[in-house]
This record gives sequence, C-alpha cells and structure tokens, in this order.
Amino acid sequence: MTDAGQTELSSPPIVPQRKLRVLGTSITLIAPVREQAQSDLGFDIVFDQKDFLPCQRWAAMEPESYDIYEQCFHNLDIVWFWGALQPIDIGRIREWDEVSDLVKLGGVSKYAGRGRGDAPAKKLYVQPGGFLGSKPSRHISMLPTVHNMDSFGYDVRIFGEGPDVRPSWAWLLDRRAKGRIALVDEPAIGFFDAALAAEAAGELEFADIGNMTIDEINALMKLLEDRRAEGYFCATWRDGVDAALLADQGAVAVQSMWSPVYGKLRKAWPHFVESAPSEGYRAWHGGASLSRHLRGAELDMAYEYLNWWLSGYAGAVMARQGYYISNPQKAREWLAQEEWNYWYEGAPAARDLAGPDGEVAVRAGARRAGGTYLDRGRRIVIWNTVMDEYNYAARAWERFVRRVNEAAAA
Amino acid sequence: MIRSVNPLAQETRYELIGRVLRQNILSGVLPEGFVLLEGPIATVMQTSRVPVQSALRQLMEEGLVHRFDGRGYLVGWGGADVVPIRRDIRDFDLEVPQVVDEALQTRGTWRHVYDKVEEEVASCQIFGEFRIVETELADHLGVSRTVVRDVLARLQERGLVRKSPSSHWIAGPLTARTVSEKFELRGIVEPAALRLAGPHIRYVEVEALLDRSGTDPGITPQYLGDALLELCIAQAPNTALVEMIRSNRLLLSAVDRALILLGLPRDEDTVEQYQMLLDLIAHHPIDSACEYLRYHLSITARRYLARMKIVAVIDETGSFAPYLSAQ
Repeated sequence: MTDAGQTELSSPPIVPQRKLRVLGTSITLIAPVREQAQSDLGFDIVFDQKDFLPCQRWAAMEPESYDIYEQCFHNLDIVWFWGALQPIDIGRIREWDEVSDLVKLGGVSKYAGRGRGDAPAKKLYVQPGGFLGSKPSRHISMLPTVHNMDSFGYDVRIFGEGPDVRPSWAWLLDRRAKGRIALVDEPAIGFFDAALAAEAAGELEFADIGNMTIDEINALMKLLEDRRAEGYFCATWRDGVDAALLADQGAVAVQSMWSPVYGKLRKAWPHFVESAPSEGYRAWHGGASLSRHLRGAELDMAYEYLNWWLSGYAGAVMARQGYYISNPQKAREWLAQEEWNYWYEGAPAARDLAGPDGEVAVRAGARRAGGTYLDRGRRIVIWNTVMDEYNYAARAWERFVRRVNEAAAA
Repeated sequence: MIRSVNPLAQETRYELIGRVLRQNILSGVLPEGFVLLEGPIATVMQTSRVPVQSALRQLMEEGLVHRFDGRGYLVGWGGADVVPIRRDIRDFDLEVPQVVDEALQTRGTWRHVYDKVEEEVASCQIFGEFRIVETELADHLGVSRTVVRDVLARLQERGLVRKSPSSHWIAGPLTARTVSEKFELRGIVEPAALRLAGPHIRYVEVEALLDRSGTDPGITPQYLGDALLELCIAQAPNTALVEMIRSNRLLLSAVDRALILLGLPRDEDTVEQYQMLLDLIAHHPIDSACEYLRYHLSITARRYLARMKIVAVIDETGSFAPYLSAQ
C-alpha cells in the first residue's frame, strides 16, 4: 500500500442516518410521540401532517413518499384499493394477542353492540383476492392503535344539567340552539353527526345509517338545507383549534366535538360540556399501515415503529388527549393512577391532569361523560364511514358546507 | 362505440382544413406571398367560413402564414419585400389527400365526433353531475347545432345523458347504485350470452391470447376484458343481447379508463381471473366458464365500488372538456 493510500483511509466513513417517514393527521402526529419514538428507536422520524382528505389522496397517489401511513380504518378503502399499501404480518407484532376485541371482533365484549358502518373489524384482515374483512388471517391492513367514541358538546345554560338531562343527537337540530349550531366538516364524520341528529329528532329514518341510499342521502341533505336556510347553522370546522374557538367565543350552543378540544376550552369552561348521547356514540378507529414500497431493512424499521406504538408510551400520550389505545394495559404502565382512573375508569379526577402538551386539560373533580371505557365502548351505534355512495354524499355535503360558510362570512 | 375506419374521422373540420393548407404550403403548391381568403377556401372545402377562420389562426400560430395590411393572410413569414399574390385558390392544383377528402365528406354527420364526446361524457360522470350546453358543444367541436343534437340524441339513447325537468342536458352522477345495477345486469346477461356463444367462440384466438397473457406485460386487465367480450361473449348469435351487453358496459369501461388516467395501478388479481376464465373457456365445458364468469363479476363489482371512493378526495376541477359544466 502506498503512503497516499494510507492518507485517504484516514477520513472517517460516512454512515447515513436512518430515517422513517410517517404520513398522517394531527390525531397521532404530535411532537411527544415523535420525540420519544426517535429516542427509543434510534433512527430519525419525519412527520408529514396533512388534513384528512389531502392525507388520503396523498397516501393513495404517492406511496413512494412515505413509509408509514397513519389514518383511520373507515377511509382505508380509498388507499388500500389503490394498491398503495402492503399487508402487515401479525406474526411480527409482539402485542398482537393483547389488541382488544373491539377491533378484532367488532365490540368491546361478546354481547356489546357492534355499531353500523365501517367497524374496524370489517376492514382488518386481508382476505383472498386482496379484499378486507373480519375473517381472521395472518395479515392485516392496518395496525389498530388509537380510537374513541365521539359525541357532541353543548352549553348547559341552554340545555340544562343534572341527572335528568338526557343529551340527544337531536340537539344538533334543536330550536333552542338555532343559529348557534356547528358541525365538523368531514363527509365521513360530520355527515353522520347530522344523520344521527335527523333520526334522533324523528325527522328521518334510515334503513342502514351506515350505508345510506341515494334517496336517504337526498332526504338528509334536504333537511339540512332547509334548516340552514332557516339559519340554524353558524359554522363548520375542520380542526380542534377552530372548534375550541367557536365554543370560547360563545358562538355555539351545541356542536360536533373531539375529545382533545375539551381540554383546550378556556372561556367556555365549565358550561360547555361533553355529552353522552342517549342514542349512543359515533366511534372511529385509527391505526398505522405500511407503504407498498417497503422492503428489507426499511421494512424492518417500519415494523419497529409499529411495535413501538403498542409498547405503552404512545398509548399514554393518546389517553391524555382523551383517546384510547388498542392495548390499554401497556399504556397503563405509562399513566399515573389518577390518569388511568379518570380516562379509562370514568372516575372523578383526583387532581388536575395535564394534556400531551403539559397544560392542564382536566380540572380536579371533573368526570368524563359516559363513564368507563367499557361503558362507552358498549354504546357505539355508528362508526365513521366511507359508504358505498361516498362520492355522492361527499359532494352533497361539500355544497352544504360551502353554503353554511358563505352565509357565515356574509 | 362506433369506431370509424378513417384515422382522421375524429378530427374536427378546422383541423382537416388546416391539414390541407399546411401540406400545400410546405410542399410549395401555395407560394410565399399568396393571399389566403376565407371565402374561396370555404368554397373549395365545401364548408362554412367559421372552421376556415380557426384553421388560419392555427397556421398563424405555427408561423406558416401571417397577417398583413390587406384582407386575409399571406403565406410565409412575411417581410417588406414580399409582394402579395392575389389569385383564385382554385387556379392552384391543391393537393387534398383522399383520406382527408373522405373525412371532410362526412363532416356533416354526427358520427365523426361521436366517439370522442361519448368518452368525455361517460368518464366525467364519476366526478359528479354535469350540464352540457348545446351551443358550447357546437363551438367546441366546430359543428352545427343540428349535428350536436344528433350526438346528444345518441348519448341519450345509450343512457349517458338525460334531460332535466328544465330541459337541460345532464350527465351523471355515476352512483354506487348505478354501478351495482350494471354489474347485476352483467351477472345475468353475460354468462347467458357466453353459453349461447359456446359453439361460435374464436377458440384459436383465445388460445393465442392465453399464451401471450402470461408473458406480455402490455396485456392489461382492460385488454383482457375487451378480448373476452369480442372473442367470446359477443359471438353469441343474438345481436340484441350483444348490443345490450355493449351498452351496459359502456359507462363502466369509460370510468375504468378515467381511473387509470388518475394512476390506478395494474391489478394482478384481475389479470389472473381473466386467465382462469379464458382457460376454462378454451379447455372445459362452457358451463364452468359461465359459472366462473358470474363469480368474477361479483368480485369485480366489489372492487369497483371500493375504488370509486377515491374520487371524493381528488380535485379534478378544470380537467373536463370545456362544454361540461359541473353542477
């Protein structure tokens, strides 16, 4: 070897830092999750956060641009049938046996109600021919993680409080709240808040609220349009910040709500509260999927990340924003007893509890509406759903939302 | 679809006129400085002046003709020393290729524009409801209102457009219900037609296709679907039945093509199913192929409905033909 050769060898080898790219929404792409995962796993994690619909479009059309896709079971059809994802081998998921029956069987217990629409069980297992179904197989479409039972929030000064008050989805069309009603603008979510309201108010009846016909969709949209023209709706919103603002400004007396928003309320606290609707909940279930391009070492990294999600920490972070995880006992190891008791057991908060950002989200003495995880889980009546007539419903919904927002702007 | 044998059959009148003038300018038949006037050209081409105007504008954009102080256009780039040549265009021995001549002869009928319009009108429907304005369609195609009405009448006959209560032409929206109904109908009539077709199937071509389909990546599910129709099902000796099958498939195939344009990846499962089906047709009693076809259609319907859902998250505004306005 020459002298020159020895000199060249003295420069250190360059090892590129490994990187995992995660595409998803604000539900799971939050800083504490990324920071802890990065520190635990030893590779870079890049979050690409998008709104619900752009996220789905991007996931379907640009599978090379991400490694992990974090979204919900109900809109999985859009991405799965575009061939953008690859099946997950449950043999490589350490916590698989601990994943709850809510997703595996469709209910929190054998006798619990199943809920209409896109229950995650219907989209979980990969079936012959690439279809998705509930019949167990070695491969799944999405690793079930975060989920919740959603309802609406209301102003107790308008609708009353105490044990005799029985909140109903019908309140979203209630005369007492006329001009102060807002809905979440997402056609697989807000649409069903409106549908539940229409049924609860006795205005309409759907043969299957989870897979409505064109005539039923038309009837619902006509009802909403009539009420809009009468001035019932003041706004629609797309993220929790806007929902909190509407409540804090006193603009709404009742509206669609997401759990983390309650912890963000300031002026609206304590009179704007979460409901436990007498008709039951609209639920959703999120998870993480693998991009179709992953192979070898990259695929291994992605599996490490999936396993990390069910190792407890992420479940605890999700709990602090009011969401449940598919293997709660692991999350419990990362939660204080008071946190576990409040979020999962429905007990009064023994002290102030912090949200994922460290700010107080729950005041001492508060109690979660609807009670324990199991009580809430037993009362799921509909899941967020991308129905067969989704294209039609989504377009009709968009027209309705546009008119509400135009009127609000005027 | 009505496929014409003339490769220029789908070109608009102004495109054909432009083609003739361009060729004669480039070959020197029309010399530099020659004054092109709309009226005489229209007479030679047996057309109105409107498409001639469009053709001349097109040639100007290409730099083959230019404006000058007088009426009409001058051949060539122009310049101070060019002397305008004012003569009757009929004095020149214009070269009009036979294929262009034939295509021009059929301009007056609806057939030469129909296929393109049918494809555009069918494939847009997955994106919602559209209104077609007769005058805008006429302008777009460079044809008369009469021709447009013939086109629309044919589209209506095939169930692709309808008249609203206020007498507007409406296309779409394609709903899951329509798709399910069309697949249900396919499940009833296509196996029946396949059974009738049994003795008439073009077996040699089916065998050849089977051999190629395993190795040729150019053979797509759509290609196999079309081949199954043409080589097998459409051989049924019942023209009414075959016509019904073709009509019923029209919208579904157009939407399929629209989804492929959006980037729908090749579907290996479907390719395998077609191979199985062709193999059953070629080597087994026809009943087993009919049964498998019924199964294949039920699977395809489910897949089709799931795939359609993506359209709700895609913003396709602006990519439709200009005569289609989203409602």
